[in-house]
Amino acid sequence: MRPLTLGRLLLRCGILAVILFLVVVIALKLGAVQVSLYGLGRDLVRVLLGQSSAISTDYGMIVVDIRLPRILLAIVVGASLSVAGASFQALLRNPLADPYVLGISSGAAVGAILALMLENQLSLSPEFAGLSTPLGAFLGAAITIGAVYLLGRREGQIDSTTLLLGGVITASFLSAIITFLMSTLAGGNLRGAPFWLMGSLSTLPPRTLLYIVGIGFLVAAGAIYTTASDLNLLLAGEREAMHLGVDVPRVRIVVYLAASILTGLAVSVSGSIGYVGLLVPHAMRLLFGSDHRVLLPTSALGGAIVLVIADTLARTVVAPSEISVGAVTALVGAPFFIYLLRRRLS
Amino acid sequence: MPVWPSISRARAAVLFAASLLVSISPARAQAAPSSGPPEPATRDVLDEVGRTVRIPFTIRRIVSLAPSLTETLYALGVQDRLVGDTVYCDYPPDAQKKPKVGGALDPNLEQIAALHPDLVLLTKGLNRLDTVRALETLGIPSYATDPHTVDEIISSTERLAVVLNVAEAGKSLAHDLQRQLGDLEMKLGPLPPKRVLFIVWTEPLISVGKNTFIADALRKAGAVSIVDSSQDWPQVSLEEMVHLQPDYLVFASSHSGAVENNFEALANRSGWRILDAVHDRRYAVISDAVDRPAPRIVSAIEDLARQLHPEVFSPARAPEKAAPPRNPIEPPHFHAKPVTMRSMTLPRPTELSCDR
Repeated sequence: MRPLTLGRLLLRCGILAVILFLVVVIALKLGAVQVSLYGLGRDLVRVLLGQSSAISTDYGMIVVDIRLPRILLAIVVGASLSVAGASFQALLRNPLADPYVLGISSGAAVGAILALMLENQLSLSPEFAGLSTPLGAFLGAAITIGAVYLLGRREGQIDSTTLLLGGVITASFLSAIITFLMSTLAGGNLRGAPFWLMGSLSTLPPRTLLYIVGIGFLVAAGAIYTTASDLNLLLAGEREAMHLGVDVPRVRIVVYLAASILTGLAVSVSGSIGYVGLLVPHAMRLLFGSDHRVLLPTSALGGAIVLVIADTLARTVVAPSEISVGAVTALVGAPFFIYLLRRRLS
Repeated sequence: MPVWPSISRARAAVLFAASLLVSISPARAQAAPSSGPPEPATRDVLDEVGRTVRIPFTIRRIVSLAPSLTETLYALGVQDRLVGDTVYCDYPPDAQKKPKVGGALDPNLEQIAALHPDLVLLTKGLNRLDTVRALETLGIPSYATDPHTVDEIISSTERLAVVLNVAEAGKSLAHDLQRQLGDLEMKLGPLPPKRVLFIVWTEPLISVGKNTFIADALRKAGAVSIVDSSQDWPQVSLEEMVHLQPDYLVFASSHSGAVENNFEALANRSGWRILDAVHDRRYAVISDAVDRPAPRIVSAIEDLARQLHPEVFSPARAPEKAAPPRNPIEPPHFHAKPVTMRSMTLPRPTELSCDR
C-alpha cells in the first residue's frame, strides 16, 4: 500500500465533489415542473450573488425554495448515514453493521410518533411547531443509543457482539411498540407516519432545521475523522490496537457517540432511509481501499451523491406523485448488496 | 381547541400577499366599477382548524387537495376556478381532467407552486399538517376544513362558499341539503334505528368508529353502528359481531354487483355464516359517496334509508325520487353515479375486498 499523501486524498475527494456538483445540477433541473438549464444557471448566479429577490421567473420559487432545500437535505442526510455506516462497520468490526443496526431508527420513530401525539395536546409557538417531530425523533434516538450502550456493556467494557445483539433486539422491541401505537391511537396526525417510517425527504424542512443538521454533521463527522488512524488499527483487533498504543475505550466512545448523533439527526429529518449507510462505505472501500482517512470523506461524498440521485428518482419517476426514497434505495441497494456478497465469496 | 396548532403566517406570506395586491388591482377595478371606497386586496379569514389566514379578496385560482373538497367546489358551481386537484379526485368525472398535483398525503409542492394558486384547500381528516406547514413556508395561502358530522359537512360547505365569495350558492345548497335531511328525519322519526355493521374492509374486518362522519351519516339514515369505538377505523373481531348480531351489513360501493359477489363469498365463510344478517341475506349497499365529507353524502344517506326502512317510502313516491329536484347552481351531472371508486378520503383502504 502506498503511503497516503494529501494530494491523493484531495484528488479522490475532488473527483467525487465534481460528480456531486453535476448530480446536483441535474437534480435541480429535473422535477414535476420543467425548468430550462439556461434559466437555472441564471437563477443560480443570482442566488450566489445574493440577489434572490431579482428572480422573477415562474420557477424561481420552485427551484430556490422547494428543490434546492430538498437537495441540500439529501446531501447532508446521505453523507451522515454513510459516515455513520462506515464508523459502525469499523467499530463493531462487522461488515453488516449500518446506522440502523443498533435500533436507532426505531427509537427515533417512537420519539417522532410520541411527538406527533403530544403536539395535539400542547399549544406550541409557531416557530417551535415544525421542530417538535424532529426533536422527538432525536430524543428517541438518543435514549435508544443510551439504552443499547448499557445493554452492550460487559464487565465495564463494550463487547461488540453483545452490543450488536442488544441493538437488534431493541430494534425489534421498538418496532412492536410502533405497531401498537399506530393501531391503537385514533390520532389523525399519525397519517404522515408511514411516509416517515419508509423514509422521505418530501416535506419541506424549516430552514433552522437544515442549519442544525448541517452543523451537527460537520461537528460529528469531524470528531470521527480525528480517530481515522485509530480505526485503521482497530480493524486488526482491539487487543492489537491497544498494544500499538490506541486508546481503545476513548476511540470507542467518540465514534459511538458521534456516529449515533449523525444517525439521529439524519433520521429526525428524513425517517429511516435504508441501505445508504450499509452499502456506500462498501462501495467506497472497493474503489479507494479501506484506509479510514480516505474512506470517511469519500463515504460522505458518495452517500450524498447516492441519496441525491435516489431522491431525484423518487420525485420524478411517477411525477406528480412520489415514491418513498427508502423504497428507491432498497430496490437498488438489495441487488447491489447481493452482488457484493457473491464477489466476496468467489 | 385547535387540534392542528395554529401557526402565524410567515413573513413570506405577507410579501406574497403584497404582490397579490398589485396583481389583482386591475381585476378589482372591473369588479367594483366606480362607487364606494376601493375594496381591500386581501382579507383575513379563520379556517376550521383555528388558523387565521390572509387570503386574496378575489379568489380565482384554487388547488384542492381532497376529493371531498373538489366535489364541494363543483357543487358550489365554482369548478372553473379549480386549477388543480389530486389524482384521487374522480368525481364528478370532469374533475379527472383537471391538472393533477399528486396524492392527498404527498402532494407535489412544485406542481402546486407552478399552478400559482390564490388558495389551496385542505381538510384535516385527510391531509397532513406537514403539507400546511410547507405551504406556509412557501407563502401560499391555504384554508383547511374539518367537518365531523353530516351537519358540519353542510355548515362547512356554507362557510367555504363565503370564503370563495359565493355565499348565495352556499346558502341555497345548504338549504336544499337541510330540507332533504329534514324530510328524511320526519319519515324515519318514530322508527327504531336498525343496528348495522358498516364494513370498510373484510380482511381484517374494519368498521367505523362512533366519532366519524360516516357513523353520523348512518344515524341520519335510520341506522346505528353496533361498533362503539372511539378509534376512527377500528379493527373489530368477528366473534364480537356474532355476539352482537347486527340487523344489516352495510357496504359502501359505487356498483352493487361487486358487493353481491363479495357477499356470496362471505356467506360461505365459517365465521360469517353464523351472522343472522348473512344467513338471511340482510345487507345494504350505500354509495361510496358516504366515504367523502361532501354534499353528495346526503343523497347516499337517503338511498341507504330507503333500503333499511322501505316501509316508510311509499312506492308511489319512488319514481319522483328517481329524478331528484336539481339545484340550479349545480352542474347537471352532479347527481350522476360515480364511475370509479378509488376513493382515498379515508386514511385506510376503503375499497371493499371484492374490488381488490
